[in-house]
Formats: sequence, structure tokens, C-alpha cells
Amino acid sequence: MTKGGDGGFEIYFLSNQRAKNSFSELSLFLDKQRKTSLFKGSMKLQTEILIIGGGATGAGILRDLSLRGIPSLLIEKGDFLSGASGRNHGLFHSGGRYVVSDPEAARECIAENRILRKIAPHCIEETDGFFVSLPEDGPDFRDRFIQACKDANVPAHLLSRDEALFLEPGLTPTLLSAVKVPDGAIDPFELVLSNAKDAETYGGKFLLHTGVTSLLMEENKVKTVLAKDLLHGEEYQIEASHIINATGAWADELLKLAGLRVAMALSKGSMLITNQRLTHRVINRCRPPSDGDIIVPNHTVSILGTTSVRLEDAENFEVTPQEVSRLIRETSRMIPAIEEARFIRAYAGIRPLFQSEEKGDDRAISRGFVLIDHGKKDGIKNLITITGGKLVTYRLMAEKTSDLLCQKMGIHAPCSTHLKPLSGAGKFSGLKDRLKTLGKSETLCDCELVRKEEVEEVLKEGKLKNLQDILHRTRLAKGTCQGGFCVYRLLGILNESGLAEGDSNNILKGFLEERWKGIRPILWGSAVKEEELMEGIYKGIFNL
Amino acid sequence: MHYDLIIIGMGLSGLMAAKTAVEAGKKVLIIGKGLGCLTLFSNTIDVLGIPLLAGPETTRLRDGLSQWIYDHPEHPYGKVGVEKIEEALSSFNSLFPPPYTFQSRNETNSLIPTGVGTFRPTHLIPSTMMRGIALKEKKTLLIGFKGYKDFYSQRLADSFECRGATLSLPESPPTEITATALARWMEQPSFREFIGTEVKKQIRDEELIGFPAVLGVNDPMGVRKDLEKKIGASVFEIPILPPSIPGMRIFNRFKDRLIRRGVTFLIGHPVSKVTLNEKRCEGIEIAHPPVTTSYSADHYILATGRFMGGGLKADRERILEPIFNLPVSQPGSQEDWFGRSFFDKHPIHRMGILTDSSLHPIDERGKPILENVWVAGTILAGHDCMDEKSREGIEIATGYWSAKKAMEG
Repeated sequence: MTKGGDGGFEIYFLSNQRAKNSFSELSLFLDKQRKTSLFKGSMKLQTEILIIGGGATGAGILRDLSLRGIPSLLIEKGDFLSGASGRNHGLFHSGGRYVVSDPEAARECIAENRILRKIAPHCIEETDGFFVSLPEDGPDFRDRFIQACKDANVPAHLLSRDEALFLEPGLTPTLLSAVKVPDGAIDPFELVLSNAKDAETYGGKFLLHTGVTSLLMEENKVKTVLAKDLLHGEEYQIEASHIINATGAWADELLKLAGLRVAMALSKGSMLITNQRLTHRVINRCRPPSDGDIIVPNHTVSILGTTSVRLEDAENFEVTPQEVSRLIRETSRMIPAIEEARFIRAYAGIRPLFQSEEKGDDRAISRGFVLIDHGKKDGIKNLITITGGKLVTYRLMAEKTSDLLCQKMGIHAPCSTHLKPLSGAGKFSGLKDRLKTLGKSETLCDCELVRKEEVEEVLKEGKLKNLQDILHRTRLAKGTCQGGFCVYRLLGILNESGLAEGDSNNILKGFLEERWKGIRPILWGSAVKEEELMEGIYKGIFNL
Repeated sequence: MHYDLIIIGMGLSGLMAAKTAVEAGKKVLIIGKGLGCLTLFSNTIDVLGIPLLAGPETTRLRDGLSQWIYDHPEHPYGKVGVEKIEEALSSFNSLFPPPYTFQSRNETNSLIPTGVGTFRPTHLIPSTMMRGIALKEKKTLLIGFKGYKDFYSQRLADSFECRGATLSLPESPPTEITATALARWMEQPSFREFIGTEVKKQIRDEELIGFPAVLGVNDPMGVRKDLEKKIGASVFEIPILPPSIPGMRIFNRFKDRLIRRGVTFLIGHPVSKVTLNEKRCEGIEIAHPPVTTSYSADHYILATGRFMGGGLKADRERILEPIFNLPVSQPGSQEDWFGRSFFDKHPIHRMGILTDSSLHPIDERGKPILENVWVAGTILAGHDCMDEKSREGIEIATGYWSAKKAMEG
């Protein structure tokens, strides 16, 4: 198994030499759970496989390899799901969206759709989806769509205008027809965290908030990966037989450290969240993929998406007012109530699209994934890149990557992730379950009914390093007030349980600034009232 | 029904206007769609908390205000003037005779501790909060309650460098505890008996005991006195997240006094229509389905607050005043309303209803629009009350001044 130093290594190894001033404002140290460093300088870690990137793909690979009994370590520069996996609309694709433009991707989607329903039922809401044709879309595309669904093995049923309106009364009465497909809603946080948790029980290890600083090359391989704990400053020298680059939009950036390149197109997709759930089902526009085509119900809200804007830089991006207007204009053509809806947040993610050559519209680039053996391609024999793909095909991507690894390692260890349900698969976490527990404990978040106990459980599991880590693992700050009340309470609880150190008000201010990024683009109507309340509290009463 | 004056809006500015008018013998109707924002934000009376006045050892408020008005003639304070602002504040104070009074220290601002571990410069401080000013000099114990999620004594104690304790309450109900419930319980002697005993167990050598601002709604000084007797140390309150119990005390005091003096209160329904004729308002309608009632008056005061109060509304393009459709100063398109950082001074906060010096609404060319309508409170343009820490000061001063002007007109 993974070994390092004298007595093996503690994966949640924490240092006491951290430089206090270099922390991001959001850092919140859960100090009591930490161990004091026994090492000076950088720490050596050895592992069979090193996976870089904690998105759905990386976590999926960690689970797959762990189930195959191959010792693996995952490192991630932020928290799990810091990239595209945590910043999408949570559409559990049937493949319908791609049947016409990219039948191969569509076939992968529907196959994985069927598998995930079995192995990850707790992450999926089986809502079904409609592809709605409006008068201007005409019946031609719809007919091609139905035929393409048939060819790609995606179940599709044509519904008349009246049938569609009966099931989804919020649809515009002017619609021509709707095609029903097995779309759904998926909770990417639950999915990725379940994968990581499951991997851990089979011996997989991970280090969060740990970024790669350089790749030391030796002849035809990567000899050592230098990494750094970005919160505490701890440095690691990691030696691994094989290295998997699962960094999504950052794939090219990582490869540059080895002097390699991969042609990636970074495509920004922006989304809006309404303060209530507008439909029961996923609503898609039945036309060639374009902006503002998708409305996905997600727990108590709906998510409207998306746009597609080419980016040069994976770090600095925001939702523009033009995107907001476009999303509202387009989605309200299907659900007119969106015109008057209250929004609680805008956010954007980056699709990591693999590009064989420069093309025009990013939507023309395959949503399929790409697996690169840099041994064959570039002569670096222990490096693999997996990128592109969809959230719904994360498991297949992990399977193919792990198969390639086994082949390279010359071992026979078959995949079992399509058969073994994820831990937590019996768990229910819907609104009904939350309502049942009301009144039994303090409710920290009144918008999403998050109980104090629930947060305490997450804290007990430990390993959390900052405020965002906690918010990722609960529904805190995901409701109407976007954490305006509950984060104040959370900081109080962390302090009272001796888990936080440092200036809580700096963390609070940092949170309010993070929150602001998502709120500023949607401030009109009732959202302005909420904003006035928040400013009245934090600038007024509390003089922060 | 006909009145001398109809006031639309039941926040602090509307209540001040009602007080001023009824004391001059006028027949007054005050209409509120809800209870106003007093019960959300207000605890002390902030008048102007700009850096010059951010205490503790600072300029007298009067001098700071004069300078401010000189530098900001378009600010609502500029229309009222220092002398009338002081008159308005003493009129407010007259509603709060001892024991529960609002006072300043040496006519300057003081810094009071807040529920997030900061200090806020403020002017008139209720008796129950006054001792908090000494928190830095005296050994202090802060008390929170298990199950009450809006006050964390330990976290505050870390910020204020003092001690904190959390009390478990007797027969705590299974659900969480709210500020209003705590305030109600505080008014029961048996509850105070329990709190007194428990605090005594926690106390070491502290002279000051800080509670969240929940020491009763009706008789906070009685509650405090009794707690002090039982604990054997001085007690003070710290302002917290909404709802504001001190704000309720202010609202209740106004309501009781004004009703006794003959003001008619109409709570719970918005104004659905106003009838205008040339440059005058001739009447208003209130829809409480299935009935619609009409009221009229010689004078009207609009004191409906900003977005929270419903005085202003924003669609995706512009900001509107929904009752009289008065012109609102616009800070550009929606993208320009808010700055890039939460803690920026956002341009949207400075916009509002433009008025002349007697608080008559005016149009873009500076011409009065309605000759029997006046505007008061935070809906006015030209201030940023959150940034300036001037919310209650503006409400009291312009509420008072609008009613004075209405009675002249």
C-alpha cells in the first residue's frame, strides 16, 4: 500500500508551520482535528497511481481503481467538484440533447444513464424530460430528433400539446408538441462525495487543497510530482508508477509542466437559479443545441441554462448581464413565468472540450471524452490524460482509464463499478425527509431546512479545511437568502465547538464577497429586497 | 372618511410624522401594509456614523452634522437643517421618559458592541444598551442560550476578549428558541429567577453581564433591574440579527401613545389606488377584499421606505415608486446599480425621490409635482443610510419635518 517516510503517512497530514497571513479569507482551520507535523521540509509520498483532479472523473477513477485493489492517491487543488463537476446544471442526460449532433455521445449517455440509476439512486431524481417544440422550431427537427433517438437507443415518446400541458401546466400554451425522454436531475455533490467515500473504504486516499507545482521528468517518464498544500503550505514529493491527469479544463495547464500540450477549448456555460421549482420535469428545447435551451428542476429550485462562450483562461470568468438577459429571454419562451420569476443566483462553469483542430461553434465539438496515453503519443510512458466528456459519463470515463492502466501495468483486474452500488445508495435526502425532521433540532438554514445535527455530522467526519468545504457537503447557503443567515450561525457553531480559529469576521466578509459574485447579476425585483436586508444586517446593525 | 393628514407607511418616519401632526391637534390616519422596518434593523438611534463621528473620543454630533450638511447640501439632512434635526430628536426622546430612555454620551457618538463582535458608532442609546460601551474597560461575561441560534456568546467573547457562557434552558421545547420567545419568557419572574441562578454559577469576577437584546418587550428596565439584583452585576443588551426586540419596543411605544392621542392606525393592507387631480392628491383607496375603502385628506405624507418596505420597486430596467409613480433618480442601467464588491458603496442606495427643501416631490426640472404630498424617510434620494449609519436619524428628522411642512402648507 501507499507508504512514505518511516511509518507510512497520514493522509490528512497537517502542519503547524503555516504562514497565517497567506491564507485566503475563506480559510477556516478546523484545528482540533489536525496533527502536528513530524517532518521538516517536504514530505515524500509513494503510491502506485496518482490521480490529479477531484472532479467526477478523478473521484470515479479513484473508486474504480480502489475496487480493483490498485493503491491510488488523488490530489485536488481545491475541494472535490471545484471545477465543472460542481458548476453545471445537474441535468441527468438521457442522451437526447446529443442524439442529432453527436450520436456517439448520446449512446454513451443513455447507457450510463441506465447504470447510474442502479448504482447511484440516491443522487438521482427520476423526473423524465421533455423536448418542447415551439411554433418557430417547426416539426422537422422534432421528426429528425425522434428518429435519432430511435437510432441511439434513447426511449422517446411524442406527446401532443394537450398531453404535455396536462403534465407540465407551466409550459407555454403555444407549444406544438413535446417528446418525452428519460432525462432526470442529478446531484453532482452527492455523486462525487459518495465515490470518494466509497473509494476510501476500499483503501483509496485523497489530499484536498493540494495543487501540483511541478513535474520532475526523468528520461521517458514523470519521476516525481511536486505538490503543495495550498492552505497550510505543506510540500509533498510524490512518486507514482503511473499518473493520471484528470484535471478537466486544466488538463493543458498540467501537461505544460511536462512540456506537453493538449488542444482544449474552454467553453463557459452560465446558469441561473430560480427561488422555486418551476417544473416537475427537465424541459429542453427541441432544436439544434443553442443558448437557454434547458430548465432542470433541482431539489427545491430550478436551474436555467446555458450559454456557450469561448474562454482563454480557466480561472477568471463571470456571468455577464448579456448572458442573464439571453437566458431569461430564451427559457421564458418555453416557461413564460420565468419572465417574472425571482432568481437567487447566477453562476458559470467551464466545459473542458477536447479539440482535434480549431472549429467554429463550441457546440460542434464532441461532448465525448478523450483518453490519451502519453506513452504512445509523446513518449512519456507513465502519464495518461482523460478529459472532455459529461458528468453522466464519468463512470465510463473512469472505467476506460482504469482499463488502460491495467493494460499498461500488465495486470488483469476487471471493472466492477457498473455493478456495485455506491455507498449511501439506500439513503434518502429529499425535501420530504427534511420535513419529517423539522422541529426535532435547531434549523440552521431556514430556506433549505438544514438542521444543526446534520452539520455536526459533516464536521464529525472531519477532513474539512475551510468554509466552502462545509457548504459543499450540506445544503447550507443554497436557498433563497444564499447563506445570509446560516453562515453567521455556522461560524458561531464552529467557534463554540472549538473548530475554528482566526478571525471569524474575516471569514464572514470573505463569504459575503463570494456570495456577492453570484447575486450581483440577478439583482432586481424581490432579490433587491433580500439584498437590502443583508446589507442592513451586515453593514448596518453589525458595521462589518 | 376625511382626515387632516394621511400618512402612508408605518416605519419610524411615518410614526414620527403622525406624532408631530397629532400633537399639533390634527386628525391623522396612518396606513401600513406591514409593521415597517423598525422591527428589523433598529435598536439604537443612528444619526450619523461617518468616520469623523466614529468615536469614542470625537466631535460633538452637532458639529459633525453641520460639516456634513455643508459638504452634502442635497442630503435629506441638508433639507431639514441641524436645528430641526435636534428638535426632531428631542421630540422622539419625549416618548421615552425614564426608566427606558434614549441618550447620548456627551452629545457625541458612542461605540456599542454588536452581535458579530464589532463596534458600531451610534448616537442615542437605549438604557439597556448603555453599559455595553464600557465592555472594553470592564471584565465582561456574555450569555447565550442553548437552542437560540442567533447569538454565539463564545464567538463574541473571542472578538471582545472577554468570557462567554451558554445556558441550557429549563424544559426547553423540542424546537428552536426565537428572540421573541426569549423576550416573552424574560418577562416572567420565574424565568428570571432561573437565569439569575444560572448566570451566578457561571460568573467569576466579571462586573458586566452581556445578553442578546431580548430582555423583554414591555418593561426592559424592570427585567434588567431584576436580573441585576439576582446576579449581583450590571447587565446590558447587545443588538442582534432581526427581528429586533428593541425595534418592537419603539414601535409599540409609538402605537400606544398615538392611538391614545387619537391617531387612526390601519395595518395590513396596502394602498391600492390614489386619485390625483391636477397637482393635488384627492384621495386614496385601500383594497381589503372583497371591500375597497376610500379615504381622503388635506395633506398626504409618503413614508413607504425603500425596497424592503415596498416604497421602491426595481424591474430589470428601472426603479419605480409604485403608489404615486413619482420620478425616481436613476443610477443608470441595472448593471450600474451595484458595485463589484459587497462592501462597495452601491450607487442604487443613493437614488430615491427628489424633493425640494420642504420635502415636496419634484420633477426632473425641479418643479413640485403634487402640492399636498410630502415625502419622508429612507425613500428620499441623496443618502446611503447603511453606509452613513444614519437610518433612524433620517427617519426621525424627515418624518418630523415633513409633518411640520404639511401643517404649514
